[in-house]
Amino acid sequence: MIAFALRRILIGIPTLLIVLTVSFVLIRIAPGDPAQVRLGDYASKASVEALRRQMGLDKPMVIQYLEALTGLLRGDFGRSMLSARPIAGDLMRALPYTLELTLSGIFFGAIFGIPMGIYSALKRNTAFDSIVRTLSLGGLSIPGFYLGILLMLVFSIKLNLFPVVGGGDISNLKSNLYHLVLPGLTLGLVMTAYVTRMTRSSVLNTLNEDYVRTARAKGLAERKVIYKHLFRNALLVVTSLIGVYAIVLTGGSVMVEIVFSRPGLGRMMIGALMQRDYTTLQAVMTTFAAFVVSINILTDLAYAVIDPRVRNK
Amino acid sequence: MQSGRKLTTVFLRNRTSVIGASISALLFILAISAPWISPYDPLKQNVYHRLIGPEASHLFGTDEFGRDVLSRVLKGGQISLFVGIVSILLGILIGPGLGMIAAYAGGKIEAAIMRFLDVMMSFPDEVFGVMVMIVLGPGMQNVIIAIAVLMIPRFARMSHAPTLAIKDLDYIASARSLGVSSLRIICRHILPNIFGETLVISTLWLATAIRLEASLSFLGVGVQPPTPTLGNMVRAGVDFLATAPWVSLFSGLGILLAVLAFNLLGDGLRDITDPKLYAR
Amino acid sequence: MKRLKGVLAIIFAVGLLPLLVTSMAFAGEKVLRIGYDAADLVDLHPHFAQTTQDRAAVQLFFSGLVRYKPGDISQFVPDVAQSWTTSKDGRTWTFQLRKGVMVHPWGNNPGYELTSEDVVYSYQSAANPAKSSRAAEYVGITFKANGPYTVVATLDEPTSPQLFLPKVAAYSAGFIIPKKPAEELGEGFRKNPVGTGPFIFKQYLPKEKLVAVRNAKFYRGVPKLAGVELLYMPDLSSRNFGLMNKELDAIEGPPSQPWVDEMHKLAGVSVDIFGPGEQGTLHFNMSMSPLKDIRVRRAIMYALSRDEVVQTIGPAIGTPAYTEAQQPQGGWMTAAELKQRGQKDKKDYLYETNRTKAKALLKEAGYPNGLTLEFFQTERGEYMIPMQNIQAQLREVGITLKFIMVDHTTWHQKIRANECSLVLYNSIRPNTDVRLTHYDYSESIVVTGKAPITNFSHVGAVDADGSGKISSIDDLIEAARRELDPKRQDEIWKQASLKLLDWASSYPMFVKKWTFARQNNMSWGYPLTTVILNSPVIDELASITD
Repeated sequence: MIAFALRRILIGIPTLLIVLTVSFVLIRIAPGDPAQVRLGDYASKASVEALRRQMGLDKPMVIQYLEALTGLLRGDFGRSMLSARPIAGDLMRALPYTLELTLSGIFFGAIFGIPMGIYSALKRNTAFDSIVRTLSLGGLSIPGFYLGILLMLVFSIKLNLFPVVGGGDISNLKSNLYHLVLPGLTLGLVMTAYVTRMTRSSVLNTLNEDYVRTARAKGLAERKVIYKHLFRNALLVVTSLIGVYAIVLTGGSVMVEIVFSRPGLGRMMIGALMQRDYTTLQAVMTTFAAFVVSINILTDLAYAVIDPRVRNK
Repeated sequence: MQSGRKLTTVFLRNRTSVIGASISALLFILAISAPWISPYDPLKQNVYHRLIGPEASHLFGTDEFGRDVLSRVLKGGQISLFVGIVSILLGILIGPGLGMIAAYAGGKIEAAIMRFLDVMMSFPDEVFGVMVMIVLGPGMQNVIIAIAVLMIPRFARMSHAPTLAIKDLDYIASARSLGVSSLRIICRHILPNIFGETLVISTLWLATAIRLEASLSFLGVGVQPPTPTLGNMVRAGVDFLATAPWVSLFSGLGILLAVLAFNLLGDGLRDITDPKLYAR
Repeated sequence: MKRLKGVLAIIFAVGLLPLLVTSMAFAGEKVLRIGYDAADLVDLHPHFAQTTQDRAAVQLFFSGLVRYKPGDISQFVPDVAQSWTTSKDGRTWTFQLRKGVMVHPWGNNPGYELTSEDVVYSYQSAANPAKSSRAAEYVGITFKANGPYTVVATLDEPTSPQLFLPKVAAYSAGFIIPKKPAEELGEGFRKNPVGTGPFIFKQYLPKEKLVAVRNAKFYRGVPKLAGVELLYMPDLSSRNFGLMNKELDAIEGPPSQPWVDEMHKLAGVSVDIFGPGEQGTLHFNMSMSPLKDIRVRRAIMYALSRDEVVQTIGPAIGTPAYTEAQQPQGGWMTAAELKQRGQKDKKDYLYETNRTKAKALLKEAGYPNGLTLEFFQTERGEYMIPMQNIQAQLREVGITLKFIMVDHTTWHQKIRANECSLVLYNSIRPNTDVRLTHYDYSESIVVTGKAPITNFSHVGAVDADGSGKISSIDDLIEAARRELDPKRQDEIWKQASLKLLDWASSYPMFVKKWTFARQNNMSWGYPLTTVILNSPVIDELASITD
């Protein structure tokens, strides 16, 4: 099991490396000089050049790249090109907000999506099934930012039940949860749609499997059949596909964070993109990639736990 | 591959496809005829009648400059559809070619290309899209490029496996030894195999492209005002969400409808072209 | 005995404690959080600060010899100078400084008492084009110290109080920068201001906020607020939501009636609409094609309806403007007067909306199918709202305006770098002399002028109407400056305004008031009627109650 885990982790590293490289390159192609932006329009050419030297912008690209790489290995994400603050600090502040949003999305999606998917598959072609299928299609069709705005309109503005924007005070549980409800619900509803569809189609496929038919023919109680085979299989599929949907989850969380002004990684990244803060952007993109890779590794591990046959692959 | 007639019958029997196709067709017609059926000029302002709620003369109300929201939604829908279709077409043009090249080339080149495509796909769509837009700058042309770039890996992946499967078949090898050009092999054997899947994926990715364009516009890096896109209209409407929600509501509804329609259609197409699911 | 002393000390301290607590409670621990329509600050050096958000910031940290009465700019009241006298010939001003004006602590320096040496240093710096963007306004004035608490200003030419006092007021280059920190910090002063104002600069988080804390040694008394935070929030909905959430105490609003209506609907929120407001003038860069051609410029003026732009802003917030001089400053004229004078001079100064005429002029100038103008445009609400309407209006005659959207800071750079063909500029200036000097004096031409300020249209260096002569009002500006009779001064300024209209160098469109929304429990500390700094003065009187 440990060997399996290690193997999985090792595979993730090249991906991270590529992400770092791609973001490094892309960002530097973009127009705009961070030193000029930082000093403002009245700064003399000499002071702009001095700041460029200080920021390391005058070094050849390769050197800058290697420095970024080695720094990462040390856990040093560098300093923001705008505020000169250590990025690691900003990342630590933003990470909890994104983590709890993503987790609530996964949690919500699983709690509601799996049972609905199973039930919908069992009750195939009934009215219930049609409704669920339409709603879940709607759920993954609706843009996350629109759903967020709708929920904001109804629950925050009209009904005044929840705060409109912000992340609340992360240390204060009540404030934290209060600010998490609507964003979490937005992301959760979208994830529920994905999970429902996944679960439904996996259950349908499993229902047709020979061993299920055999079990049924043997006369085992319907319920037992469900619990034993379908649920486990559904869990397997969902677990492995959460890895795939981790990317959707991440993208969705970025949009939700923007709509609700949550101070998480998503807002940090979009902010850094717009402000040409190269180093922050790189750090956030690498963190996101690490995030996605971790989710993938964790789900691979969970898959291996549920289905031991996988471990030998 | 089923015969054309049988496919049509199956298509018509599948409720999802029919509904999806109908709504999609309706949206296409609306988008194309937007300039003629719009009750007002989408850019013309009438600041003496602004932020008026839905009423007889303005079915979707007016925005903060007195522009008719219905006319702007129609125009925005036209743009969204246009951007989506062109970017998908670009993706189809380049993507499958890339996948086939990778499969044919094999070895290290194939590994490198596929790896690179994998990493591209490991970025969340919106994030990658914003990055490309920052590099290229705002505007419709660049949005199309950005979305096309996002679609290419998907189309490439899709053509990669079938090409791999076929290229080692005996009759291909014999055809090659007979001197049949690779191009001919591709056209005759590979393309027909991936046609069905391409159609399905294109439809589904069109839905994604529309949603992506809306997200990019919403973030402010897409098509710029005063040209309306459904995304930048939602963004502008957020300023007045408390007192005049109709601007955001109706433009967002447009996005939802368009994405839903193409998802339905794609779903339906997948149902009828996927032989595994025929058993249902 | 030692023990007794110890006990006494403890009793003394304990006794003082309630006093300390009460005084602190009296002083309050509230920090004012105010959201501005800006992405970031630019420059906190008061002699350079241009943008609204920077002007709002510098008035926290600096003082002038005099100040505009908070909330009512029709009067000057003492600031660092507790009294002043003028000589009979109007050429010598003597200022008596207050004692005990303390410069803020900075770095390792605990601060020191401000004296005439600092004041003289500051105004000499203000007159130096390398150290001030308003040097042109201090030409012909010499400052001298006469003892540590007396400053004497000698003018080459007699100047009325109305024209002189703004130069030494808590405004623009009139803010006093103390000598020691200014020399020590050098360029760093721009992002680390040290002055004598009610609040002390504490921290600047780029793109986020500026943090200031109370100056307990402030000469007019301890400020009620414990501190002020200026937050940079260019997104209007974020500001709106911040106020709704009670995370902000006040927000800057756009000049927009719909926004005011939206704020009025909120419980516990008040809206302040106050003047005199900024005049919005559309400047045509006459050095760039196609605006070199007076017919194109006149076409734009005829195509536009001032009333429609005013309606976009909202009739409670905006009014139409017709002359370069802003009402009620010297030289302003009503539409009726312009019409009258036009009839007399056989010219059109009013440019009443006439789209047919506009199209005809365009055709005559060689653009029968219209034309496109592409230029940088700031994202700030106060500009985007009227500009979007102007864009829609010009579309009706075939003129397409393409905006290259940039943040406010970049826009200020671009327009001063002579990179824009069209510039809508909203501003208030203390009097018509300053306004004409900034926008229509040949020395103030952007980039190429002797002391560039904001003459975007290049008045004074180009032939505006094809007459073969350089179109300049330099002589009129200088004559008005010297004129001591207000009636004659008025007429000279009117003549200047008429010439500008005839040359179609710029198009005065509207005057828009400022709009702020705040929580009901937040008070500025004075009746807010008029301001000079684009946003209300935040001083020792501002408070937040529970």
